[in-house]
Amino acid sequence: MPITTTRRRLLAGSVATLALPAFARAQGAVKPRLTAISQWSAGSDGAAITALGKKFEEKGGVWQHSPVPGFTTEMMNKLRAQIMAGDPPACSQLKGPEIAAWSKIAPTVDLDSIVAAAGYEKVVAPDLAKLHKPGGKWIALPLQIYSTNMLFLSKRGMDKAKADKIPVTWADFNELAEKMKSAGMNYPIANGGTRPDDGQKFEASFAGISPTAYRAAIMNLDKKALEGPEIKAAFAQTRKIADWCDPNVGAQPYATNLKRFIDGDMGMMIQGGWAQGVLRNAGFKFDDFIIAPGPSDNGKPVFLLNADAFIFWQRKEPDLQAGQTLMAQLVMDPAIQTMYSQITGSIPVRTDVNLSGEGWSDGQRRTAAALKDAVANNQAVLSLAHNMAQQNGLTAAMIDVLTEYVKNKTIKPEQAVTRLADAVEGAR
Amino acid sequence: MIDVVATAARPATPDWVRRLPEYLMIWVPLLLSAAHLVTFSLWTIWISFTPSTLVPVTGWVGLRNYTSVLASRNWQIAFDNLLLFGSAFVLLSLITGLLLAILLDQRIRGENVLRSIFLYPLAVSFVVTGTVWSWLLNPGIGIQKLVHDLGWTSFRFDWLVDRDMAIWTIVIAAIWQSSGFAMALFLAGLRSVDADIIKAAQIDGAGPIRIYRRVVLPTLWPITITVVVVQLQFAISAFDLVRALTNGGPGIATQLPALVVYDLMFQRSQLGRGAAAAVLMLLILLAVLLPYAAWRYLRRRRATHA
Amino acid sequence: MRERTFAPSRLLIYLVVSLVAAAYLAPLVVVVLNSLRSNEEIAQASMIGWPQQWTWSNYARAWSGFCVAETCAGIRPYMLNSALVTIPATIISTLLGAIAGYAVSLWRFRGDNWIYGIVTLGLFLPQQMRLLPWTIVLRDIGLINTLTGLVLIHTIQGLSFTTLFCRNYYVAIPHELIRAARIDGAGFFRIFWRIILPLSAPILIVTVIWQFTHIWNEFLYGVTFTTGQQQPVTAALIALSAAVADIPQHGVQSAAVIIAALPTLLIYLLGGKYFVRGLTAGAVK
Repeated sequence: MPITTTRRRLLAGSVATLALPAFARAQGAVKPRLTAISQWSAGSDGAAITALGKKFEEKGGVWQHSPVPGFTTEMMNKLRAQIMAGDPPACSQLKGPEIAAWSKIAPTVDLDSIVAAAGYEKVVAPDLAKLHKPGGKWIALPLQIYSTNMLFLSKRGMDKAKADKIPVTWADFNELAEKMKSAGMNYPIANGGTRPDDGQKFEASFAGISPTAYRAAIMNLDKKALEGPEIKAAFAQTRKIADWCDPNVGAQPYATNLKRFIDGDMGMMIQGGWAQGVLRNAGFKFDDFIIAPGPSDNGKPVFLLNADAFIFWQRKEPDLQAGQTLMAQLVMDPAIQTMYSQITGSIPVRTDVNLSGEGWSDGQRRTAAALKDAVANNQAVLSLAHNMAQQNGLTAAMIDVLTEYVKNKTIKPEQAVTRLADAVEGAR
Repeated sequence: MIDVVATAARPATPDWVRRLPEYLMIWVPLLLSAAHLVTFSLWTIWISFTPSTLVPVTGWVGLRNYTSVLASRNWQIAFDNLLLFGSAFVLLSLITGLLLAILLDQRIRGENVLRSIFLYPLAVSFVVTGTVWSWLLNPGIGIQKLVHDLGWTSFRFDWLVDRDMAIWTIVIAAIWQSSGFAMALFLAGLRSVDADIIKAAQIDGAGPIRIYRRVVLPTLWPITITVVVVQLQFAISAFDLVRALTNGGPGIATQLPALVVYDLMFQRSQLGRGAAAAVLMLLILLAVLLPYAAWRYLRRRRATHA
Repeated sequence: MRERTFAPSRLLIYLVVSLVAAAYLAPLVVVVLNSLRSNEEIAQASMIGWPQQWTWSNYARAWSGFCVAETCAGIRPYMLNSALVTIPATIISTLLGAIAGYAVSLWRFRGDNWIYGIVTLGLFLPQQMRLLPWTIVLRDIGLINTLTGLVLIHTIQGLSFTTLFCRNYYVAIPHELIRAARIDGAGFFRIFWRIILPLSAPILIVTVIWQFTHIWNEFLYGVTFTTGQQQPVTAALIALSAAVADIPQHGVQSAAVIIAALPTLLIYLLGGKYFVRGLTAGAVK
């Protein structure tokens, strides 16, 4: 069976599909159409993308979203298959350094003029902007921002422990956890046990202890920083967090614990802002919990950036091109970002959105304020656990070490440091 | 179709034209099937020597992908797990399947119902099996919680979150899912044992256990080999089940080769390394299959000579 | 040993068999019970429990209610997609496998053993490994994102199994039968239709059961090579369960699992007897 020799037939095939839009153009103004791939199929993510699609249709567009349920891997398989078939979606969900990696395998859309027209560059955090313009040109647009290290406190849990002060440093945090434990909570921390969750425990510890060392070690892979005292301290703090978690949670997501958290059987959780959307979707009230910036030893907020984004793939069909322009404008629109973030619990990418109005929670306001502070103090860093700091291969190799460390209490912090450095070396 | 053949059978048409439909029906599917297997395998072998990452690219990196896979902790753990999981699962599902088959062979009432009960897990997808067993085995929400709620609070069944025991939860779920197949094969074998031989043994005064050991079980030998090969094949390519049940965790304690291949190829975007891991998997499979093929070959030769 | 006596040993046999049967049934029972409990009830108690309040609405939501992104139609449309792939692929691969098995075992031709050997090796080739090559093939023949493409994949991959089992089954058919028919002037197809096919019921049931369950339960190809509205039922199940960032909806999920498994469960229930019979003839060679 001639598999390799018939690749050119693909070209013939795509010419046939091109004929249709050309015909549509001949008829006059095109109706914007957008083909999109994402893994957002359920819960608040599903609700948010559905709302975005509605807006797209209100503007006269045809919304063709294809959700790929499951892990991100399946979404990427689908994207890879479409790209290899010469039929990429007009836009697809992709984030962090993967944007740069994937942009090398297929042509992307130059969004510079649309971004400039919207004056968008001025209102996006610089570190974030960089990820979305790998070759110096905008090819992807961030949609929403989360911090992966927000501190969620259960009001009932706080009452149980007779505590009213929100912890600021890791020492405060540890003290409060002990207090909760002596107040009868067997497991004061409500985190889950998935791979990214284990990564979050570590990155929150590390960045909270020293954002500078985190940037050097995790983002820049500096050898000295990867073996420095801060990273060792971070592993020690991670162990404490792990010991306060319910061992029975296994590989279940944190969502399994939310009821116990709200009831005050568990007191705290280090989680991304998305947990707010989940809590609200599950019928809990904002009065049940407090959201604060994650512990930071220098007292100033540290922000572990996680941003969802859309990358735009080059298409020749005029209706898809019109759809891409419309989509880009929508994604940058403050009203759309507001709508999206209010559904999912994230904060807008735009730093100029006013969060004082109705529909925003205190947690979101605090998150936005933390981002502002963190950017001003150069304490906004990229999340490792959520694939923002490194490409997937390297990230996965590092998470292997982190999750094994969290689950295996016989590994000492020093050993973990060596293993992490080895994993980085091995995956490069 | 018969008519077509019949009307085409006019003496004027050459033989090969007349027989064209049958040639097509025989050769096209078989050749397509064989060709896809050969080209896909060769393609994977080729990719394993290239620096491919996100998509296949040309280039040559020698054995670098192999050395890095073999040196990774993930692969080492996966390989050890495969040895443990493979042997435990095959052995236990053999025993379970044989035991169930022997029990069902006792002319018991309700055989049809029971057989359906032992077979139905085969109908369920691995994803569902993994998910459901992850509920049951999770100490926080499953069996352990149930027993605690019933009052026995010191009861512990937390293998799923225990690094050393987690691999056994996969064994349990896998046996539940596929021992019905072993049972069906063994039952088929038991049913084809010649009744006269058994009668003769009974006349000689042999008890039931003795008859099984001396007369019946030896005839099951070829079936046993078939079961072992099929189950080993299942163990080596176990993927969906593990992914839904433990996803390689706790930590990376339940990694298996198929998981590593998928992970490298598609999650970590290291196609070259993933392909190398896949080739290593194929080699493991060959190590299982070649002795089997040799055994079959020898058996057939002996049979034709006899 | 095969006669019905009433001895203590028989009581023991019944005891053991029912215990094992209970263990095998337990997961199904748990899922069925959960499908009748509300999500809240499951969250508050454990995954195992008797429904406090019978919640039939889970089935309605699972069948036609829950949303996968903007499509809120439950698993109904996905069931149809799965059927559209599974039924043709099962029939075609079974038929082609039967013809191939018949040709290899009774017709014999040059190189048949080699081809047959390679084809059966296909049983062992890991699925993950074939994903990218299939992507390239489907791209080149222009069948990506079509159900036809999926049918093609499952037919070609399924041939390994169907050919193997049918061949093993047909080997046992006496050659004299074929020879006599050929002398009477019957050709390849006539012999197949008139003689072989009528004998094939047991083995065809085995291959149909096997193919149907495997294709119905497949996920990886199903989501990679389809788009949006064409996804198979397994994708909808995953969408329900893998909403990691959400409060688990165990009740609806259980109901969906049951509905999605009904076709394959029915096939096993109806065909279980023949499955064992067919295996006797087909695999044990």
